[in-house]
Amino acid sequence: MENYKDRADPHPGNSEEFAAEMSWEEKVARLQSQTRRHFLRSLTAGVGSMFLGSLAAPYFSSVKAANLTIDGLPRLDFSRDPRSPLSVLPPELTARSKRVIYLHMAGAPSQLELFEHKPELARLDGQDCPASFLAGKRFAFISGIPKLLGSQYPFHQVGQSGQWLSDRMPHLEKHVDDLCFIKSMRTDQFNHAPAQLLVQTGNARLGYPSFGSWVIYGLGSENQNLPGFIVLVSGGRMPDGGKQLWGSGFLPSVYQGVQCRSHGEPVLYLDNPLGVTRPLRRNMLDAIDDINQQTYVEFGNPETVTRIAQYEMAFRMQMDATDAMNIHEEPEAVRAAYASKPGEASFANNCLVARRLAERGVRFIQLYHWGWDSHGTMARDALNMGFAERCREVDQPISALLTDLKQRGMLEDTLVVWGGEFGRTSMRENRNSQTNMKFVGRDHNPGAFTIWMAGGGVKSGMTHGQTDEMGYEIVKDPVEIRDLHATMLYLLGFDHRRLNYSFQGLDQKLTSVKPARVVAEVIA
Amino acid sequence: MTSGTYPKSARFYFGLTTLSAIVLLFALFCVAAPDGGARATWLQFLGRFHPLAVHVPIALLLLLPLIEMAGRTRFFPSLLQSADFILALSTCGAIAAATLGWLLAKSGGYSGSLVTQHMWGGIAVAAASWLCWMLRGRMSVDHPGTLYPLALIAAVGLVAFTGYRGGQLTLGENHLTQFMPDGLRGWLGVSNQSDASDLASNPGPGTFYGAHIQPIFSDHCVSCHGPSKHKSNLRLDTYAGLMRGAKHGAVVKAGNSQGSELFHRITLASTDDNFMPAEHKPPLSDSQVKLIGLWISSGASSTQVADAIKDIPADARTSQVAEVTFPEVDTDAVTKQRASLAAAVSDLKKRFMGGLDYESRGSADLVVNVSLLGSRFTDQDMAALKPVVGHIVVADFSDTAITDRSAATIAAMEHLRVLRLIRTRITDATLQTISALAHLQSLNVFGTAVTSAALPAIARMPRLQHLYASETKIARDSSIPEPMKSKILF
Repeated sequence: MENYKDRADPHPGNSEEFAAEMSWEEKVARLQSQTRRHFLRSLTAGVGSMFLGSLAAPYFSSVKAANLTIDGLPRLDFSRDPRSPLSVLPPELTARSKRVIYLHMAGAPSQLELFEHKPELARLDGQDCPASFLAGKRFAFISGIPKLLGSQYPFHQVGQSGQWLSDRMPHLEKHVDDLCFIKSMRTDQFNHAPAQLLVQTGNARLGYPSFGSWVIYGLGSENQNLPGFIVLVSGGRMPDGGKQLWGSGFLPSVYQGVQCRSHGEPVLYLDNPLGVTRPLRRNMLDAIDDINQQTYVEFGNPETVTRIAQYEMAFRMQMDATDAMNIHEEPEAVRAAYASKPGEASFANNCLVARRLAERGVRFIQLYHWGWDSHGTMARDALNMGFAERCREVDQPISALLTDLKQRGMLEDTLVVWGGEFGRTSMRENRNSQTNMKFVGRDHNPGAFTIWMAGGGVKSGMTHGQTDEMGYEIVKDPVEIRDLHATMLYLLGFDHRRLNYSFQGLDQKLTSVKPARVVAEVIA
Repeated sequence: MTSGTYPKSARFYFGLTTLSAIVLLFALFCVAAPDGGARATWLQFLGRFHPLAVHVPIALLLLLPLIEMAGRTRFFPSLLQSADFILALSTCGAIAAATLGWLLAKSGGYSGSLVTQHMWGGIAVAAASWLCWMLRGRMSVDHPGTLYPLALIAAVGLVAFTGYRGGQLTLGENHLTQFMPDGLRGWLGVSNQSDASDLASNPGPGTFYGAHIQPIFSDHCVSCHGPSKHKSNLRLDTYAGLMRGAKHGAVVKAGNSQGSELFHRITLASTDDNFMPAEHKPPLSDSQVKLIGLWISSGASSTQVADAIKDIPADARTSQVAEVTFPEVDTDAVTKQRASLAAAVSDLKKRFMGGLDYESRGSADLVVNVSLLGSRFTDQDMAALKPVVGHIVVADFSDTAITDRSAATIAAMEHLRVLRLIRTRITDATLQTISALAHLQSLNVFGTAVTSAALPAIARMPRLQHLYASETKIARDSSIPEPMKSKILF
């Protein structure tokens, strides 16, 4: 086996004599890694392109068509040494943000109970919803003619910017002049899982890389001892979109998000088992790497290199991840500011961990907090019950996180994003045409919702976009999910059309195939 | 049909003379292409007749297909007899126009791809016209052949191409679509954006420059001072180009609008020879002139935020936010800029395990972040940065073991915008040493032993916007100097 390693020919099927040296079993194994598609591709496309190439070469030798993307832009080079797939690459343009902390409120919080002050809706509370609201619309649960529902909480104006806020976010109020609201977000998905996938991967179907994966694919990670893309989940349940929300899709799997736990072992099975010392672990890894290396030389599958890199990172993480997650290290005052209680899986703990990860150079920190799906079918999700609980759970930690980032000067180059996957209706939900549900709730509204961003190159104390006086439809400056993605990528130093990965014959990109617009209005 | 109202030998000599003129001109274009310099006045005087002369071959060559078609109907058969004469005339006209065009390009300060394409288009029109004349002379009525019609189609196509390029030279790149109604524009799929030729570092729409100044230049100036035509070697399509100035030197003196050549030129009497925009292009409005003046007076900054200048004219304030553009990176230029430091950068990158890299793919500026090295980064390591200090724009030394002995190296980072010294052992002495950093916007001394005594030195930094001073010995009381009060953040 030694001589294969010396040969170091990573591509299968290149060398005749190499094949002649192989045993029968090895030949079979190598053929098994070749699929029918590989065969057909090398047969038809291979012969065809040789013919066309010989015809066209004299005429087109100077045309470097392969170096242009589908948008006709020169292709950016994201190639790296396969042994360090997360090494840092400079952004294409001067970046305003170096990292992202994304606070995803899974279940879609009601904008009408938090940021959208609509006195007209309050005035018409309890009246029948106008027919024009229902024509041509599909709802998850509303049927018949629902009643309009005014905000369940009083609003007041705060900050220099005069932003209207409800009384549910008293701590966030202090930071209102640091925030940039987009009140005209729009999506085309009205169920949680596809809508979350759209927000996180740019596509409502499974199999696409998440935002964080794209970012670390494009920029790499500063800290080679921690994953570049870390996911923290709270709220007692996984978001409906599942782990695909931080999957790497068709990107090499080394770019997927790594879910960490905020108590106990940060990553399950990361610690050495009892009786295994670190040097012993090292010896073991060396042996495994050696075998993997040989497999790679034989079959040329890049996922093998990914595997080697993952093992190595896990080894380095044993020290650093535990340290990063250890919020016991924080002074009592800081923990109190976040309302953090070490030892439980809470959003507060995750916010504090997020700051520690940001300080350690983690590129993309994704938090999910479940429980915002306020249909009003039970106390846990009702606007007048569980919703208030959710607000209490996130309000103080978010505020403390913003304070900390600002104090440390990190808000300058950290982009914080808060939002759900869609909005909620201006009508009260009447599940199964019930007129008198016990609790108050709203159905899904993909037509309008609110998110906010802070830090990293966005304007502060401003609002972009506007909905009608019922808060039901957008009347000014609609922003699609892909526009938000293009804007965030711009802040991170990319033209969204050029953060590409070739897959299935297409220059795949986060913003997919429809044209996206960078929302220039929100950029400082 | 042979059309010989004059003897064969005259045809031969005419053909030979015009062909040699074309060949001569071709050779001239090859050896003496326009280079952007302005030359002797009489050359320019003659050259200025080029726009007049070009219309002769244009009109004649466009007339010919009409004559050929109309002459083959039964109404105007006599027209065919004039075709040969018109072709001969258009050949002469095209040669004359191309000659004058070369004089103008050579003497009038033109260079760039538009001029080159227009020039080669012009000589090709002359050659095509000559070819048409020659082919038509050999054509017989019975066997018209296909060569002549093809040559004529080619000639007309070349006229259209060259004319369009010429139009772009005088009226701007998008002169045909600039005022196209939006409906038609959407229907035809014509984009409203000018070419993304800005450098990677061009200020964004959130800056005063990006929001107010660059749009004026883009609308009024870049047709002559842009990527494809840079008269007097001045480019106004990017901030870098503006600050680089023209062949005579800087055109903008930061803080002094009256002393700035650019402002001087746009405020002259519109009849003055030096008035800009030249050649009777529409002058800037009063509010546009005022905006440029205010911007230069307040320091001609590329980073000043859009609403930083208060008394801007009312009609300028309502202007829409400019769309974000994605400038194309000129890789050759970047490689050239990086040439002198590439070796040192690659060494340091290895030494600091990726803690140093270029700010972007289109820049030779450097970003240093060695905070992850922690105490492994010492004053000796700081000294290793010396070969590249002038290129460092963002530096994060947080949590490292540096002390006041590193101050001199930091002070030499003259282009530094952001400096982070969180939880380091630096003291007031370092801040005294680095107080001359003229570009520093953000200074972070969180968790250091810095005291209020350093504040007067920090206050001297002209561009400083934020001082992060939490968990230091700086007291939150009245001892903070007035200019620092709005910048300090606890």
